Amino acid sequence: MKKILYITGCIASLSVLIASCHKINVAVTSELTPEVYPQTDAQFSSASGPVYINLRSEFATTYFFLQSMTTDESLLPTYAADWIDGNRYLELHRHTWTKDNAVVAGGWNYLANMIGTANQTISIINKSAPPSDSKNTGIAELKTMRALAYFMMMDLYGNVPLDTVYGNTSLNTNAPRTQVFSFIESELKASIPFLKSTSGASTYGKPTKYMAFAMLAKMYLNAVQYTGTAKYNECIAACDSVMGAGGGSQYALEPRATYLQMFYPTNGPSLKEFIFSIPFDASTSNGYMFHARYDLNRNLGIKYLYSGSTPGAFTNPVMNLNSGNGLSNNKPSGPRCTTDSYFAYFNDANDVRNRQWLSGLQTWADGSPILVSTTNLGYNQFYTGGSPAGAYTYQLNLLPLGTSRLGATAFDLGKDEIAWNTGTRNIKFIADYTNTTSRNQNNDVPIFRYSDILLMKAEAIQRGGTPTLGHTTLSLVNLLRAQRTTTAALSSITLDDIYTERCREMAWECWHRNDMIRFGKFEDSYGLAKTNADTYRRIFPVPTTAIATNSKLVQNTGY
Amino acid sequence: MRLTYLLSLEAKRCCYLLFFLLPPLFIMAQSPGTREIKGTVTAAKGGPAIGVTVTVKETKRSTATGANGAFSITAKQGDVLVFSGVSFETREVAVTGENQYTIALTESSAVLNDVVVVGYGKSSRKNLSSSINTVKPEDLNRGAISDVGQLLQGKVPGLNITASGDPNKPAAVILRGASTVNSPGAPFYVIDGVPGADIATIAPDDIASIDVLKDAAATAIYGNRAGSGVIMVTTKRGRKGQVQTSYNGYVGIEKVSNSLDLMDAGQLRAYLAANASAFSPNDDKAANTDWMKEIQRSTAISHNHNISLSGGGEHSTYSASINFIDKQGILIKSGLKRVIARLNVEQYALNDKIKFGLNVTNSSSNATYVPLQNIVLLQAAKHLPVSPVKNPDSTYFENLNTTGYFNPLAIVNNASDDTKYNTLIGGFTTEVKLPLGLTYNVNLSYQKTTSLHGEFYSSYYGKYPTSNFYNNPDPGIGIAHTLIGNLFGKNGSALRSTFQNTAKTVESFLTWNKKFNNHTINAVIGYSWVENTYGEGFQTSSTNFPTDNFGYNNLVLGNPYGISNYRINLGSDLTYGQTRLISDFGRLNYNFKDKYLVQGSIRRDGSSVFGTNHEYGYFPAVGLAWRIDQEGFMDKQTVFSDLKLRFSYGVTGNSQGIGAFTSKLVYGITGTYYNNGVQENAFGPLQGSNPDLRWEKTATTNIGLDFSILKGRLSATIDVYNKNTTDMLFNYAVSPALVPGGRIWANGGSINNKGIELSLTATPVSSGLFTWTSTVNMAHNNNRITSLQGPFSNGDSIRYSDPEGPGQTNATLQLLKVGYPIGQFFTLKYAGKDQSGISQFYKKDGSMTAGTVTPGIGTDYFYAGDAQPKLLVGWSNTLRYKNFDLNIFIRGVFGNKIFNATRADLSYTTAASGNNILVSAADDKIADIKNSFYSTRYIENGSYVRLDNATLAYNIKNGIKYVSNIRVYASVNNLFTITGYKGIDPEIGQGGVAPGIDYNNFFPKTRTILFGVNVSF
Repeated sequence: MKKILYITGCIASLSVLIASCHKINVAVTSELTPEVYPQTDAQFSSASGPVYINLRSEFATTYFFLQSMTTDESLLPTYAADWIDGNRYLELHRHTWTKDNAVVAGGWNYLANMIGTANQTISIINKSAPPSDSKNTGIAELKTMRALAYFMMMDLYGNVPLDTVYGNTSLNTNAPRTQVFSFIESELKASIPFLKSTSGASTYGKPTKYMAFAMLAKMYLNAVQYTGTAKYNECIAACDSVMGAGGGSQYALEPRATYLQMFYPTNGPSLKEFIFSIPFDASTSNGYMFHARYDLNRNLGIKYLYSGSTPGAFTNPVMNLNSGNGLSNNKPSGPRCTTDSYFAYFNDANDVRNRQWLSGLQTWADGSPILVSTTNLGYNQFYTGGSPAGAYTYQLNLLPLGTSRLGATAFDLGKDEIAWNTGTRNIKFIADYTNTTSRNQNNDVPIFRYSDILLMKAEAIQRGGTPTLGHTTLSLVNLLRAQRTTTAALSSITLDDIYTERCREMAWECWHRNDMIRFGKFEDSYGLAKTNADTYRRIFPVPTTAIATNSKLVQNTGY
Repeated sequence: MRLTYLLSLEAKRCCYLLFFLLPPLFIMAQSPGTREIKGTVTAAKGGPAIGVTVTVKETKRSTATGANGAFSITAKQGDVLVFSGVSFETREVAVTGENQYTIALTESSAVLNDVVVVGYGKSSRKNLSSSINTVKPEDLNRGAISDVGQLLQGKVPGLNITASGDPNKPAAVILRGASTVNSPGAPFYVIDGVPGADIATIAPDDIASIDVLKDAAATAIYGNRAGSGVIMVTTKRGRKGQVQTSYNGYVGIEKVSNSLDLMDAGQLRAYLAANASAFSPNDDKAANTDWMKEIQRSTAISHNHNISLSGGGEHSTYSASINFIDKQGILIKSGLKRVIARLNVEQYALNDKIKFGLNVTNSSSNATYVPLQNIVLLQAAKHLPVSPVKNPDSTYFENLNTTGYFNPLAIVNNASDDTKYNTLIGGFTTEVKLPLGLTYNVNLSYQKTTSLHGEFYSSYYGKYPTSNFYNNPDPGIGIAHTLIGNLFGKNGSALRSTFQNTAKTVESFLTWNKKFNNHTINAVIGYSWVENTYGEGFQTSSTNFPTDNFGYNNLVLGNPYGISNYRINLGSDLTYGQTRLISDFGRLNYNFKDKYLVQGSIRRDGSSVFGTNHEYGYFPAVGLAWRIDQEGFMDKQTVFSDLKLRFSYGVTGNSQGIGAFTSKLVYGITGTYYNNGVQENAFGPLQGSNPDLRWEKTATTNIGLDFSILKGRLSATIDVYNKNTTDMLFNYAVSPALVPGGRIWANGGSINNKGIELSLTATPVSSGLFTWTSTVNMAHNNNRITSLQGPFSNGDSIRYSDPEGPGQTNATLQLLKVGYPIGQFFTLKYAGKDQSGISQFYKKDGSMTAGTVTPGIGTDYFYAGDAQPKLLVGWSNTLRYKNFDLNIFIRGVFGNKIFNATRADLSYTTAASGNNILVSAADDKIADIKNSFYSTRYIENGSYVRLDNATLAYNIKNGIKYVSNIRVYASVNNLFTITGYKGIDPEIGQGGVAPGIDYNNFFPKTRTILFGVNVSF
């Protein structure tokens, strides 16, 4: 009996034990979860931060590659096996890209991710924030950012799926470009009443009323390409809204004297010409702004203090050395240049905008030549003399691109100093002399600038829009030119003149593909054997990686 | 919970009491009529039987035979002496009037009577219905080994172990093929019943046995954590009446046996001359430096010492050991020092009804790494032989004008990277024998691992260009290079971190053993509670030091605020986490006449890591076995001494790769954004939440046959299995418009593994003086992905493994594809060279590329074999002659392909004037810009046969007073390898999602010669 009681007791205690210890959930004590975040206005603001980080992440790289390196504005040739990278840059330049091109895939992913992040943040703030004016503004800002992502995506890929509700995981097929256009237009119009109208530090890097109007102006100017229907009067109205901001004084052109500084690492919210820009900061881990890495010549790192390069006590020739006596020689990669046809637009010697280019013989600030020391073979891979390793010193000379000396159809420039010194270089976003520890740059990058508004309005009038406020095409373009060149004002103007003015004004600002398509020049021949003239390439294919995650996507015509 | 702790508190109190009560028991007077009985026990084959336990039946008195087989015990006439030993049939002898006895014991069929650890209990091998392999310590691999994976390499069929040349990297262990694309992980370790214990705490000399649980019938009792198999390690215990002291020690000498065949100065100079190229005078200082040699030790010495003490009285046993290992790495600076102390006490109480056990192990290690080892190895491989290590003024030679080009010796000698880590495992076990054949166990265990890490990069690093100081990824995984230059700050930078992980486990189970007539029942029900806390601690960094002298020892003296863009490195988010695992389990074994064996088990597992909708999972298993040799119709036959047919089916789970927060929505810092004039932290969701995240399940069917013929001279085990993984956990790609980031952890696809395993043990020669035993094991596995359907997308046809060779960004090597195995190669098809010596490739349409036109990445790709071996073979031979024994172990891997990306990268001839190349690239021209493209040209046959180990030993068994046994031995590892493979070594990692890629693999292969001695007192 005792035994049985004993056993029963044991089994009972065991079963109590089993029943008592089944609390499986572990409280989260170290992370931000929806239970504790976001709850305050400051937290709602920090929760919307990821959208801006998204925009910044690949704007100066992938997005630039798609918008600039597909045009005569810039190209990235190969140097023997260097920079082949699966022909991605060759395909962009020669208009032979496929749906497998990594840059084409990267651009889609970049913008889709920004849309997803915006959807998610809108959903979070809609759910958590109590109704208030700041909530309305916050939501309007996020919707405008999402509209920007859709605008960029529609511009590149044409027909894109309208995924606008977070949490809905059903797959959507692509919406036609006209439908995406209407969606962006209605989103912007709905947001404008809630967006802030001030400029300066408090709204810098964030969408304002006038950023939304600028985006609308861009949409309407390209409406023929996007929808088949012209909207030049709407474009003019949107431009007028921007020009009338703050009683007409909120935005202004930067004078000729400080034009170049507008793109320096020190630029920022005080600029009256920037309507919307991306504030890059060299210390942010995910601010991939390194134009100087691509654009500066390899032998110019020291002159432009690239990434902490300093000349120290050395004078010419310095390039042979790399350290000692204060010298630090961090070489930029420097593979990218412009085409000769694009550089040819900079034909007015009095134009301050010429100074964004590096071409011909290079000198130090004091005018003395920049000498480069190398070997005979290092200078010229085809050297056949008796002393390939013999020293060779030359003054750095950036030659026009021309055609490759390896053959008329070659995209390869070679693997010697001659190759690396080929092509005119752009230093509009000048190397960040303030950052000595990495190649990231502080230069903020504008998306919408006041000069673009003037040129857009001029073009809309020239293309048949009704002039307003007494502006004419000529008066608007001369307004701009007065701040850029000391040459006398134009007395007459053609549509083509507007195109070349845009080339000079908007270089390296991600608008050239858009301009070339609108002016019908995207199918021209230029650069290193770019001869393809397929008009279906005015939009990119839906990338393979996007179709892999959404089987309902339909490929664009031609691909 | 509280109850268990109370119980254990009670138990501890009892324990203290017993310590006071015990001494009188030891000095208990002899009972009347007893006298001293002496004798010798011999083995039937002749020679003394050492270590046989002699017990007086129905008393607690016992002793063990010594070196000569002699014993002495007190007993009285009429008592019965029981002689039992591990490899002998138990024999009972009645005490007569005689005082001197000579007892001969017959060797048992060793394998059958082995005790196998099965998880929450033990079983005899003959009554198993599941597939379990046992490895005895004498069969473990020998060598200067500090990793348990290497100890088992080649010993267990179906266990595919690949060891890296790098001693600080654990071996990759894959059981019966990768069952998931999500980090096909290592098996689950259970040490002395402590689930999930850290295997690094066990000194190889302390291992008593290792049991590898392979099929689901065996592993399902460990439920969700058993998806990749379970390895049970049992450490040595003391024995009653047998006091033993032993010392094991060795000295190992390690030398490089094979390294990359790079060009020397003369060869490279000739190559450049032949290709109308030349060195830059900046590099060419007419030196002839072997950079690989410069970063290696000519000889790396390791030594290991282990002293163990064990014994036991009538009511208690103990075992303690201390182990010290000091192992130099073959690369300069690298090394490991480790001290392991272990104490194990078992004591009986309450008329031996209760057994308490205490296990405490502490392992304290000091690991010194090669700073930035991967960069150092890459630079040593690439550096030009014509450059010297140092300039005439004895500063380090550097030519930073060449991008990504640094002096490897300067990197090593101007930095340090050390980690001290300590693991403590404490276990307290209580076993209560209850009436009616019931036993109740409560096991409590606590494991704590702490690490203290320090890194220092001196002011010398200030000269390295921050814009191209890239990290070189680990071999084989193909993750992208990361830029690390801007982490260094200025004037020296230091990083320190300290973290601890703790695991608390409570397990209790009730066992019922009952035998009536022909029926034997063994039933277990139990409960398990595990709480893991990981990543508790912090990391910080500083820079801008006044001097390099302090290293990382005084962060206070730095001035990080003086460097404008410097950011203190506080580590990453999601480092800390807590998980809980709660399980109930039950198992029933039924045995009819030792002839028909049935086993069924079920485990219900709950884990906090899964989605709130699916925290619990059920893991059932059944096993059936028929011991045919026990049937009446087998009585007459003499062929088989053992014949057993087994069948099992079971389900196990996997949650590897899933952390505390994987299923939850968690916000973290996604960077900084401009907000009203300042860069502020932005907090965004770090991952998509998935409340439906649940267990990945693997169902295994296993059919096995065990037989023994020729009176046990030949025994064999054959297993055939079919393993299906469903609800595969994977970080699936989804549209980033739906889930920001574009990836979500979810359950989706499925994978199948089918295979056959064979293990054969034979004793071809067994004469009095000479015996030869030979064991061969073979395994074949066939792996196929059967589905990659994710939650709202399909993961099929995803290209991966991107080694980022020069000019080859996105040139991936492998493809995930339904119908193909994990590790399927998918790459360019090499078509030879054209007349001008330029490498050409086939395009997708079958035509060929021409000139310098390059084929399309992804589009012009072809299937090109896979990384998984068709056959794994291990062959172990033991030859004994008199007091000598010789063990030879040969291992082979057949039918696998290796993508030799290392060879491709080091054949980058276009840059040969600035980077060294392999001798094998001598026939490629500098003008051939496509020669190093990843293609079928660099896919090689990975088959090899290796003489893994040969050990010759001499045993001195008699003759020295007070010493029972001395064994001296010499051992060689990696004596030779027969292979056609062109890389350093064909043993390339088989683990992970990207197996079989030889990439950035510059670590030299080594050969170790070892001299050791074992002494027992």
